[in-house]
Parts: sequence; structure tokens; C-alpha cells
Amino acid sequence: MQRHVSKVELVTASVIALFLVVVFPGLHAAGAVSDFTIKLWGKYLCYGLLAISVDLLWGYTGLLSLGQALFFSLGGYMLGMNLMLMIGEDGQYFKSGNNPSLLPDFMVILGRTELPSFWKPFYNFPFAVAMVVLVPGLLAFLFGFLGFRSRIKGVYFSILTQALTYVAAVFFQNALIMGSNNGFTDFKRILGCDIRASATQRGLYIATALALVLVYAFCRWLTTTKFGLVQRAVRDSETRALFSGYAAANYKLFVFVVASIIGSIGGALYLPQAGILNPTEMMPEKSLEAVVWCAVGGRGTLIGPIIGAIGTNALKSWATRAFPDLWLIILGGLFILIVLFLPKGIFGLLGQARDFFAKRKPEAASATAEPAKP
Amino acid sequence: MTYRLLRTALLPGIAQAMFWFLLGSAAALSASTARQTIATAILEEDAEKKIGLINSLIGNADPAIKPLFDAWKEDAIFLYKAEGSATKVPVSVGEEKDTDGRQAATRIDDAQPLKAADGQPLRILTADYDSAEHDSAIRTAMKGVLDLLDLASPDRARRIQAIEMLGKSQEAEKLPPLLLVQKNVTDTKVRHALREAIALIQLKDEKPETRTAAAQELGALGSIASQDFLQQFVKDNADQPTVARAGTAALAAIANHVRNVNIVGTGFRGLSKGSILLVAAIGLAITFGLMGVINMAHGELIAVGAYTTYVVQGIFATGVVLQIPTFFGQPITVRLSGMNLSGTALDNYFLLALPLSFLMAALVGLALERSVIRFLYRRPLESLLATWGVSLVLQQLFRLTFGANNVQVYSPSWLSGNWTVSDVIFGWNRVFVIGFAIAIIFGTHLLMTKTPLGLLIRAVMQNRQMAACMGVKTERVNMLTFAFGSGLGGLAGAFISQLGNVGPGLGQDYIVDAFMTVVVGGVGNLVGTVVSALGIGLMDQSLQQILLNPVLGKILVLGMIILFLQWRPAGIFVTKSRSLES
Amino acid sequence: MTLSRSLKFLALAGAITSTIFTAQAADDTVKVGVLHSLSGTMAISETSLRDVLLFTFDEINAKGGVMGKKIQPVVVDGASNWPLFAEKATQLLEQDKVAVTFGCWTSVSRKSVLPVFEKDKGLLFYPVQYEGEELSPNIFYTAEAVNQQATPAVDYYLAAGKKKFYLLGSDYVYPQTTNLVLLEYLLSKGVPLENIGGGFKKDESGKIISAGKYTPFGHTDYQQIVSEIKQFTAGGKACVISTLNGDTNVPFFKEYAAAGLTAETCPVVSFSISEDEFRGLPAKQLVGQLGCWTYFQSIKSDANKKFIADFQKWLKSSTVPGIVKEGRVTCSPMVLSYNGVYLWKAAVEKAKSFDVEKVVAELEKGISFDGPGGKVTSQKNHHLTKNVFIGETKADGQFKIVKEYKDVFGEPFLKGTFKPKTAAK
Repeated sequence: MQRHVSKVELVTASVIALFLVVVFPGLHAAGAVSDFTIKLWGKYLCYGLLAISVDLLWGYTGLLSLGQALFFSLGGYMLGMNLMLMIGEDGQYFKSGNNPSLLPDFMVILGRTELPSFWKPFYNFPFAVAMVVLVPGLLAFLFGFLGFRSRIKGVYFSILTQALTYVAAVFFQNALIMGSNNGFTDFKRILGCDIRASATQRGLYIATALALVLVYAFCRWLTTTKFGLVQRAVRDSETRALFSGYAAANYKLFVFVVASIIGSIGGALYLPQAGILNPTEMMPEKSLEAVVWCAVGGRGTLIGPIIGAIGTNALKSWATRAFPDLWLIILGGLFILIVLFLPKGIFGLLGQARDFFAKRKPEAASATAEPAKP
Repeated sequence: MTYRLLRTALLPGIAQAMFWFLLGSAAALSASTARQTIATAILEEDAEKKIGLINSLIGNADPAIKPLFDAWKEDAIFLYKAEGSATKVPVSVGEEKDTDGRQAATRIDDAQPLKAADGQPLRILTADYDSAEHDSAIRTAMKGVLDLLDLASPDRARRIQAIEMLGKSQEAEKLPPLLLVQKNVTDTKVRHALREAIALIQLKDEKPETRTAAAQELGALGSIASQDFLQQFVKDNADQPTVARAGTAALAAIANHVRNVNIVGTGFRGLSKGSILLVAAIGLAITFGLMGVINMAHGELIAVGAYTTYVVQGIFATGVVLQIPTFFGQPITVRLSGMNLSGTALDNYFLLALPLSFLMAALVGLALERSVIRFLYRRPLESLLATWGVSLVLQQLFRLTFGANNVQVYSPSWLSGNWTVSDVIFGWNRVFVIGFAIAIIFGTHLLMTKTPLGLLIRAVMQNRQMAACMGVKTERVNMLTFAFGSGLGGLAGAFISQLGNVGPGLGQDYIVDAFMTVVVGGVGNLVGTVVSALGIGLMDQSLQQILLNPVLGKILVLGMIILFLQWRPAGIFVTKSRSLES
Repeated sequence: MTLSRSLKFLALAGAITSTIFTAQAADDTVKVGVLHSLSGTMAISETSLRDVLLFTFDEINAKGGVMGKKIQPVVVDGASNWPLFAEKATQLLEQDKVAVTFGCWTSVSRKSVLPVFEKDKGLLFYPVQYEGEELSPNIFYTAEAVNQQATPAVDYYLAAGKKKFYLLGSDYVYPQTTNLVLLEYLLSKGVPLENIGGGFKKDESGKIISAGKYTPFGHTDYQQIVSEIKQFTAGGKACVISTLNGDTNVPFFKEYAAAGLTAETCPVVSFSISEDEFRGLPAKQLVGQLGCWTYFQSIKSDANKKFIADFQKWLKSSTVPGIVKEGRVTCSPMVLSYNGVYLWKAAVEKAKSFDVEKVVAELEKGISFDGPGGKVTSQKNHHLTKNVFIGETKADGQFKIVKEYKDVFGEPFLKGTFKPKTAAK
């Protein structure tokens, strides 16, 4: 991908952004797009955010994180705590008179009569939003700080992040205070609006689309800066970057934290649109699925992973219905083929084609980045 | 009869007579033979009378009782009904089946072959008839009969079980036979059980000093079984402080014994858990540690081994049905007919399953290496992704071929018992897996250090280019090494099938743990893998024992591993390398 | 939707969704949703329910359908993915406009679709034993409530003279809730706290918030727990109440048998092992252990014999792709699905309408159906009155029925209803 943003790219991106943020919801408001479709696309765009977070790490810094789904879920959980508390008087138990202190229903089932103290601040929406950024950010910082300092890289980083998300999944699966295996569900209100109302869903969709556009713009900008250059230097040879006087660990740490926050924002937006969040979302295979989206779309391109996320999920929606028995084989096979034959993904294929034509004009070729050699 | 009376008044000879009377009374009173009684009991409709009939056999020393009761419990007694007749005849059947599946039948009441109206022996199809019914009340009654019978049983385990039963009943009239048996017993284990049973009964003795002595005896024996009884004892004797104090002291002594048992037990369990981790990880230690291939499908190779065991077992038993998927259209159904073996012959399936599971997994590994992995030796991260794809495909293939359900794998009888030494349980399957882990490590070590292949493997793994320059066919060595590592995964599968479930998701249960084990041990170092597997196993079991909370234990172990790796990313044993970018 | 809008809709969402939903229900059919996991971890259990539902639809259609309309099943795959369940439920309700849906196995999948059904005013029949503590106007629970499974099992144990109870389960909401109810129930029967094994967790105020021993999902190592049970049961008259979920039963029972524990020394009653799960368990090592359901395949009634024979016949001739035809059994969740369809049919015919509100009103009035497991009657609280059976497992994977409780009223809200008996000293 080019270091500088060309005019063509700027125009194309703006048009797509305008369509996603304004036109599509406009059509929904006019009734041309169904509630179902806007919800579905809202979820796809959240996956797009998760895909960007993987790409920023893998495509640009050479860190294959198998734990991004953890940050995605954490973001969801943070906002979810607020939404659970907002159910309030609409809960099953309040109606039947067994829940005077307005606890989330799952706590009443388990015999609690009082809200645990760490839940209390989540009544405040801004606090919950702040936590969406802070908690995953802090976790990523701690994990990265310890890890990158001892120069964890390559497959070790992958295996460790996988272990991290696995532990977290086991923890949340058994954390009764966080809804355990059932997780959070049956939300009623967000910021006082009925969460099932068409307008609220549209609002959530717009927020998601806006977030995606902004995150994309931010990442695109980041990769054009000197920071982005060092980032790629670290990816291609950490040792050489180190010898050139760049503190590779700090760069990696920064990217890891940023990527995790992006994932977390995706998760927070995902929650009210999907209507449920539970620990299966942070199982290692979910993270691996996000990596598939990246690989399919083309890593190191930012736009590719978004396309990959939407495309793969659309394929999944269709295939789990048309060929339920073959879905896993299709997904697995797709992955093998992409890795073996299309290491740069679908978007990379376009780039290769462009390069092929560009080679006839030799001076243009030098601008393209080297392929990744992790 | 009370114990005091017995001690003071009765001569041993009279006691002996009493004992035999006790054992022999029912037989003497009843005119019919044991077989007849059982046959009547089977046909009896009224549950109480049925149990009464069974109880009438108490003390009857007829050797036919035991096999008949066992057959009854195992649903091997059938109610034959001649055509057009309403009378049912309980029969047992022979093992051998003729071509129609018919079996020779023997009448329960007179042990004669079942005959048709014309006097010819009849062969029957068991599926045509109901088996004799039984429920827990009936089985308990049968057990009561067998228990007393078992007091004199030559089988030690049976005998001990019978003694324990009598002790826990705490009935004074059970004391004389126990005391009698105690006289001529030399076996230490049986003596131990007798002392415990006698003391338990004596806890209810009339004399305070006997009760105190009994409590002290139980404390000295470290009798875990008596804890509940002692607690009750302390309550019952609250008005007699000295007696109650003996009970409390005994409870403390037993608690101490339990602590020791748990410490030793935890050690053993940790060892066995470590062995399983080791067996699951050793294949990975070779493909990942030596070759640098991240094989996320290793778990599925373990599953290949487990499914191979299942198929072999099916062939030894009644056959197995596979549905080979064709992806579009109906799957092809393959029926492998079974050899219909049973008993020891069936048990031996496992001996054949071991090498076959190695072979099958090695073949799958070979195919995987040739088709996918060989293109990715220089791109380890991508080998991770591609093999994850393979793992998804394999999981779904298992599901389509063997069904989404778990399949049943029976443990051979020599893997399903245990040794209990001073209340510590040593399961045979666990002992076997420890031995097996040792054998695998030893074998792998020999292969690596003492054979030409091992030399080639080490050469290629250390420096591929250099080895190639020396004329080593690196492609071949890669292929063989990967197949070997995969085969070890298959062997692990054969074992895991004996301990847990065999289903399409089997591999997923082990893959994260296996990777952790290898990484903690230090990649490229087999000794490291051994140390880390045992360490993780011991830590896991100790935490479970201390916290009494498996969930928290698991989270803590994984958390500690992550922290350890943050601190020492290269693991316990660091492989030294001069390369900058290793 | 006007034509131009429809065109816009197709143009926008076409590639993703619209191709799937083409068929418009013809006048002589009624669309019925089937929402189960056909892939992923839960496919193990849920595929059987899809099969039995399709069988039931065929059976009803062969006899003329529901109010003269043939049932047209719309089968979707939840893929063991809970958000996907909600997505598929929305599809069924908003795009296929199904009259009723049969589906879900896990509580979490039910909880995931519940808001969808409430919003779109749909009707879901839920067939699998669950923890209770829920009552949605848009769901009918043909499932066993806790008092139709767990408490009868305790009654049976108490009658058999058991004094000590060890509670063991997988760590999630169903076992936790069930065990809390059981704890109250045992205390109300005069069982002292120290005779209840597995451990307790208390909150800051000392109130018990968790009773029993819990293991993580996919736990494979039961050595420590089995040795603990062995010590717990050493004094005799003890039993285990297990709410372990499907997969973990295998390592547990293998370890249990290897430690020399048997149904005679210490029986285990499991609430999640039915005939179907049994197919993957080492049956020989489980002989004599208990199960408790509202149906067993071994029930000797003509209705059941006919049901089994018809189902097997249907299986043989079925052309559903990927259907397993060998070694199939019937079990409680399957029969409860079957009953659900017939109850719905009866309610529709009474209401003379497919309208959800009218159908639910009829169901709430009480409709009876003589199913394979005996008579079931719908209740006002959306549960069923039905017979409860306790069975002992046999070596052939079937249950031998040892006790029957007639017409047990399904009660979803049990917590706090049992008052502890002051233990008589």
C-alpha cells in the first residue's frame, strides 16, 4: 500500500464512507432497507473493526495476535454491564416482585440480594464507555509491557495471546457474577431509548459506521506517518530496526494497545446490535476467525480485512443455511487455499495485478511495500 | 445375641455351631434347591415375595447362586415362552451362536437343557424374549446374600467387601461370624478390614470401655469409612465425656490419615495428569519443537488415533458403520463386519489398536505434510493458519463419518481396575499411562540419539541447507519426522480414548494444553517437554486439591504459565543459538 | 412493500440475504420454523430434535395437516453460535413469517432468542430440561422444570435410605441454579448441611450462593473429584447428584468406575444423560446408575411402541441429507418436541387460527395430548403437567423404569419455596 494517500483513494473512501454513514441508514429511515438488514450490516461493520485491529497488528507490525476476540468481548462486557443495569423494572423478577433492588435477573437466580460493588459505577453510561477504552487498553498494556520487554515475538506471541483469551474464556464461562455461560442478554434500553426500536437500531448502525470510518481514517493516517514506517520496519526485521536505534518494544506496545482498543470499541458496538454476548465469543477460534477475515481480504491493506470480514460473514450466514454440514469444510478449505495460493488475500491480488501493469512503467513500482516475511 | 454374652458365656465350639447354623439355616429349612428358589424368584410378580425368596438363600453355600445372580444382574437370564403357552421358563444361554444367531438354552431351575415338546434341545433367539427384570432393591437383596456367602469367598476383594458391608450395618448379630472368621485369617488386608468392621459394630456396644476401645481402634486404623459413624458416636456419647473424647481423638487421627492419603494421592494424580500432557505434547514437541511447524491440527491427529481405536474395537466386537461423506448427495455407508469376540479376546483389541493408531495418524500426518506443510516451512505463522484450516476440515469430516455424537470406546478389563494401597487409589489406566509415557520418551530418545534416522533428523533440524549440502535428502527427512510426530499424536489418542470421550471435538480439548506444555518446556528440547508436562500436571492437581475448586485451579495454572512465559519466553530450557533471528 | 422499494431492497441487500428468502407461503401450507444447531458443539444433541420434528411434520401432513394446511418446515442452523441464534430467529419471524418455531437446546440459546420472540410476537416451543426461573409470554416450555426432574430424583434417593448427597455439576447457570434449589429441598427434608457434599460458596453476608462441586466445560480430569467422592461415600448410604453436561460425563464415569465405585456402593443420578447421550458413554461401566426424565424409550405403552416404530420407519426412508439412520434411539427432549408440535396443532384447531395470541390463549386454558410418555397437559404458566420417570441404566443403553410419579405439575419458580426443617437432634 502506498505511503501517501492519493486523490483517487481519498475520493473512493469518501464515497464509500458517505454511503455507509448517510445513504444506507437514510434508506432504512425511508423503509427501503429492513430492520433485519440494517442490524445485520451493523454487526458486519463491527466485525470490520475487529478485522482492522487484527490487521494493524499482523499486517503492519508482524504480530499475529490470536487473542483479539478477547478485547472485542471485553468491550462488549463493559458496555453490557451498563445495559444489564438499565433493564431495571422490565426484568422478569421485578415484575414478579422478587427483585426489589433491581439486580440483573441472573444474579437473582443465583440468590444474590445486593449488587456487587464493582458493578455500581456502571449505572453511569459515560463511565461504562470510559471502561470500554480503559479496561482492554490496560490489559493490553500490561500483557504487552511484560511480553515485549522479554522480546516475545513470532509464534510465541501468537500462542501466548491464544492462551490469554483461552484463560479469559474459561474465567468468564465460570464467572457467575458476569452471567457465566449465558452471558448478557435481553437488553431493553440504551441511553434511555428502547433498544428494539427501529430508530435506535439505526442510530447504533450509524454509530458503528462512523466508528469504522474514523478508525479507518486514523489507521490510514498512522501508517503514512514515520511511525507507520518504523512499524513496518519492525515487522520486516525487528533486529535491524533495533540496531537502527528504534525501541521496537515501545512501538509494538503502542500498536498492541491501540489495536486492542479498536477491537474493544467494535465489541461495545456489537453488543446492543447482536443482543447477546457470552464467553464463547472469546474462545480462541473466534480470534482465529478474525484472522481468516484478514487473510481472505488481504492483510496490510486495512480495507482488505474489512471486505474480508463482511464477505466471510455473509458467506457464513448463507452457508450455515444452505449447507449446514459443509460450512466448516468450506471455511477451513478457504483458509488453506488463501494461505497457500493467495498469501496477500483478495485485495492483495488486485494490488498484484496493478503492480503487474505498473511494471511497464518502472518508476512507479518502487513505492510499493515489501511483502511480509514474519 | 450380644457381644458380652459371647465373650463370657459361649465356648468357641458353640459359637462355631452358631455360625454354621446362621449360614446354613435357610438351606436346611427349604426343601427346594437354590436353583429352584431362584427360578421361582425370577417368575414371582410380587416384589416383596421376590425379595423374600432371594433372602431365603442367605447362608446357602450352593456354588450355583453366584453365577446365577450375576447373570440376572447382567440381563443374561431370559424368560422363555413356548408358542401358545403362557408359562414362562427362565433360561440362561450359551455363548456360542449359530448362523441364525440362535443360542443353546439351559433351564435355571434344574440346569438341564431347554427342550421342545418332542424332547429335542431347543436353541433360542434371545431377542425374542424378555430378560428377567431387576431393580436396585432386588440387587441389594442379592448383594446381601452374596455378602455373607462371600465371607468365606476365596476372592480377597469380594471377601473384604462383604466384611465392610457387615461392619457398616453396625448390627450386633453380625459380630459372631466376623469374630470367627478373624480367628483363621492371616491375610493382612482381610485382617485390617475385619478389625475395622468389628470395631464399627462395637461402637454400639453396651459397655463404655468397649466403645472407647473400638473408637481408639478405628483411630489407629485410620478408617475413613468410620468417620460418619464416629461423628454420630460423639453425639450419642455426649453424656460420657471420656468416651466422646476417644471418638474425637479418633476423628483427629483419621483426619490426619486422610491428609496423608491426599498428599500421596495428589502426587500420583499429578504424575498421571503430567503423563497425559506429555503423551499429547510429545508429538507436538517434535513437529513444533524440532521442525518449527505450528501444527494446529495436531489435536485432530490425536482424534485420528482415538477413532482408529474405536474402529478396531468395533471390528473385534460387533462391527462398525462408517458414513464416508461424498459432499454432494448421499454419503457412502461402509459396514465393517465384526468378529463378535468377547471377554479377553475382545480386550486384546487395544493391543492391536496401539500400533494401528500410530500408523493411521502418521499416514494422515504424511498426507498433511505433502499437501500443505511442505510449502510453508519458511512461513511458520502461516503454517499455523493453514493447519487451523485443516483442523476445521478434519473435525467436520469426523462428524460426517462417525456422527456428531461421541462414540463408545470400552476399556479392556486390565485397564479398568485399581490398586488401593492404604486408601490411595492407583487406577490401572493411570499407572499404565505413566508407564506408557516413560516408554514413549525412552523410545523417542533412542530413535533420536541411536539410529541413523535420528542423526539425519537432528542434522536437518539444526541446519537445513548445510545438511542438504552434505547430501541429506531433507525433503524425505522432513516427511518422515512429521509423520513420526503425527504418529505419536495418534498413540496419545489411543490412550485418551481410555480416559475420556471420543468425539469430533476431542482434539480441541488438548491442543492449547499441549502447545503450552511444549512452549514452557523450551522449544526444541524434549527433556524440557518432559519436565514441563510433569510440572504442570503436579501443579494442576495440587491446586485442585488445595483449592477444592477445579475451575479456579485451571485458571490459576494457565495464568501462571502465561506469567512464566512473559518472564522467560524461551521456556525452562533455552536452546542456545547464535542466530539473531531465531 | 411497494415494487420500487422492493427493488431497492434487492439491490442493496441482495447479495447477502434476499436470495435465501424467495418462497412465499402458498395458501395451502403453513410455515413452521425449526431452530437447532446442526453444526458446532451442540449439533451432537440438537440434530436428533430436528429429525424428530421433521418426522412429526410428515406424520401430521400425511393425516391432512393442521386445519387443512400442510406444514412447511423452515429449517435453520444456529451453528452452536448464540448470536447467530438470534439472527436466525429474526429471519424466521420477520422474513419467513413462520406461525410457530420449535427449537433451542441450551438455555443460552433460548435466552438469546427470547427478546426476538417477544419483540416480533412469535411463539417458540422449548423442549429441553432447564433451570426454570423464566416465563416469557412468547415461549412454551414443554421441557422438564426442576421439580419434574431434580426433586423427584431426591425423593427416590431418600426413599431408598440415602443419607448423604454429593452435588456435582458443570459450572454454568443450569447446574448452579438446580443445585441451589436442591440444597433448599434437601434441607427442607431434614438432611443436615454436613451431609451435603461438594462444598459451598458464601457471599459476604454468609448466605450460601453456590452449593456443590463445579468443573469447567470440557474438563477431562476427574481424578481428584472421584477420590473426594470415594472418601465422602466411604461410610455408605451416600449418592451423587450430577448435573455435568454431556461431554464431561465420559471422563467422569470412566474415572468413577476405575476407582471401584459402582451403582451399588454409591449411585449417581444424572440429569443430562438421556438415551441419546448414552450412545457415547461406556454403558457397561454405568449399569445401575440413574436417570430421571419425563420419558424413556423403554416405556411399555402402545403409544410409545407405535411412536418408536413409526420414527424408525421414517428414518429408513428419509432423504434428509446427512441424517444418521443407524442405531437411533428416542429420548425425552425428542418426545417433548413431538408433544409440542401436537399441542400446538390442537391449540390451533381449537382457536381456529394460526394467530399467536389466540393459540397461546388456548394453550393456557389447558390442552391435553396423549404422547409416547403418557398424557401431557399445558398449564397457564406455559409449562406442562406430565409423568416423571426414574430409570436405571442397562448395559444396552436403555433405562429400566424403577419409579413413576404421575401428573407432576411443572413449576418454573422454585427457589425460596422450600423452607428448611429444623433438624431434630
